[in-house]
Amino acid sequence: MIEVIATAESMAQAEELLAAGVDTLYIGEEEYGLRLPHSFTRTEQKQLIESAHAKGKKVNIAVNGIMHPDKMKKIPEYLDFLAEVKPDNIVVGDTGVIFLLQNYDLSYIYDAETLVTNARQINFWHKKGAVGAVLAREVPFEEMKTLKQHVEVPTEVLVYGATCIHQSKRPLLNNYFNYTKQTEESSKDRGLFISEPKKAETHYSIYEDQHGTHIFADNDVNLINEVDELAQTGYQTWKLDGLFTPGNQFVEVAKAFISAKLALETGTWDEKAQLAAQQLIQKNHPVERGMDTGFYHLDPNAIK
Amino acid sequence: MTKRNLKRPEVLAPAGTLEKLKTAIHYGADAVYIGGDAYGLRSRAGNFSFEEMEEGVAFAKQYGAKVYVAANMVTHEGNEKGAGDFFKKLRDIGISAVIVSDPALIEICATEAPGLEIHLSTQASATNAETLKFWQNEGLERVVLAREVSMEELAEIRRNTDIQIEAFIHGAMCISYSGRCTLSNHMSMRDANRGGCSQSCRWKYDLFDMPFAQEHRSLTENGDVTEEFSMSAVDMTMIEHIPDLIENGVDSLKIEGRMKSIHYVSTVANVYKAAVDSYIADPDNYVCKQEWIDELWKAAQRELATGFYYNVPTENEQLFGPRRKIPVYKFIGEVLSYDETTGIATVRQRNHFSVGDEIEFYGPNFHHFEQTITEMKNDEGESIDRAPNPMMILTLPVAQPVKPGDMIRKKKD
Repeated sequence: MIEVIATAESMAQAEELLAAGVDTLYIGEEEYGLRLPHSFTRTEQKQLIESAHAKGKKVNIAVNGIMHPDKMKKIPEYLDFLAEVKPDNIVVGDTGVIFLLQNYDLSYIYDAETLVTNARQINFWHKKGAVGAVLAREVPFEEMKTLKQHVEVPTEVLVYGATCIHQSKRPLLNNYFNYTKQTEESSKDRGLFISEPKKAETHYSIYEDQHGTHIFADNDVNLINEVDELAQTGYQTWKLDGLFTPGNQFVEVAKAFISAKLALETGTWDEKAQLAAQQLIQKNHPVERGMDTGFYHLDPNAIK
Repeated sequence: MTKRNLKRPEVLAPAGTLEKLKTAIHYGADAVYIGGDAYGLRSRAGNFSFEEMEEGVAFAKQYGAKVYVAANMVTHEGNEKGAGDFFKKLRDIGISAVIVSDPALIEICATEAPGLEIHLSTQASATNAETLKFWQNEGLERVVLAREVSMEELAEIRRNTDIQIEAFIHGAMCISYSGRCTLSNHMSMRDANRGGCSQSCRWKYDLFDMPFAQEHRSLTENGDVTEEFSMSAVDMTMIEHIPDLIENGVDSLKIEGRMKSIHYVSTVANVYKAAVDSYIADPDNYVCKQEWIDELWKAAQRELATGFYYNVPTENEQLFGPRRKIPVYKFIGEVLSYDETTGIATVRQRNHFSVGDEIEFYGPNFHHFEQTITEMKNDEGESIDRAPNPMMILTLPVAQPVKPGDMIRKKKD
């Protein structure tokens, strides 16, 4: 059974995503979760969990920040809250949080971003209680095939959305603006990009929040043409990240992947269905953002 | 004066080659870290064969020093093959610890090479006491803190844990959380977490928005701003804060730079060794000497600051605009022997120099003096004006006694 996981940017969008057929919402609050489209209040988190559960759906809560001591002091209060409202999983990347989870009845998925690249790493965290893991975006499909043969828990794959490729604790944009004496915004809403020297066509998203500065891959990932292969290889947990795809556009993108899921499950995923899904995604993907398949088709030996 | 029971932290220096290992230890490092042929993060640093490791360990033993091996790559499928045998071999050679961040490698090391100490690499971004407790429960001996940890946080982490803490005190820094940056993978097809980092952060970027579909509108477009966006961190030095590090119970003071020269390694190890010894000997009357600071600047490649220890780094801790001119010294030779009766030193050339040059001799324990070269002879006893050939052996009269292993540097013109 394929599981489609999607971020949400509002209560209304979350409900639309569930109605569209998303299996699991991936939400949280900015204090503890990384790079979320929206920071939901505790009341909203509780409501969404109840609402999803009433529909037989799931909610995963992002608690995947790199936690410094001040946050570690505050986090037990949040974990207490979560233990009470019972999301299906929390998503964790900091080993310190995993240490704390010994005292909680909360199941967790391991997500340390760039550091999850080998089945044995995931199996290590499985022994420490992880029920799943989120695969780094830098793992080509050739390696994913081998990884699948060894891994003991379901492994999430980003099939749509932006890939974070850099997290600094420094306010890199504000430092620059202070140097150039520009008055500028550095938040995600400002919509800033950087391009590589001599590659003016590139457009890496960049913004700051309380976790630091985040930079995203040149193009967003779209694996609609690869989902068949993924499903056949045993990668049946698909994540859609709507960080840069707003409102109804993201719901439409989700529908494309849900149509793929349903068609794959009923054996009707043919060229025509694939083309329709691809067109739906293209139509709704923000025009200023590119799409590609990331590291999926790369020859592992091409990466030095 | 009340005698405090201060723990002397180890000065841990980088050693990219056997020569650098010997230099670092000779100049006061209590421990060095090196790379093996595999599993490391510095594929381009000179890495050690097992034979070289054996020689390095034997050399270190004479000084009571330790040798660690960095095996801090983030493995992809298959990269972990052979790691068990590798770790066993390291243990049997007498390597004191391995520095690892990948839990797959940690597990392999712990199960297949019991007895070999494991230190958690900074690549794992350890920023809280709970993380240290987790790894202590897994049997690790030491955790290298993330460079983003402030002094206040470090103190708090120390109060709440009893596993060994290693902290960076000098050298170049990642601008990201270490391990959480794949700019290099995406921009250069080189895996930052497997030794291929192309230092993309130090490039110059155009910063822009796209208010009109796909048209880029650069923030520097109106011409007032000429400096391009970049993310290049200045280097770290904690020379002025050694008391803070010792009082807060740091067990190991780490110097970055396996790719750096023996000039750097000798200079930096020498300075921190002197500072640590000085504080431990008499903390109440300790002063950070200006000559230590001056000395570090002689081996500096970038501006120096204190990283995250006392504030979140600002634009002043990044390289923007015209660089301040750092007086650059070049390493020109090393002393092979010294004849007390004649006052003549035999020297191996490492960079060209000439009669009339102002040069500086330095050696372990902060032995220092400057002099002008009055005359030189080549290995056939012929007088020469210039020493142009790399590794050539020559003799010259020196103003003060020197010892084998002393180094010579000269200010660049």
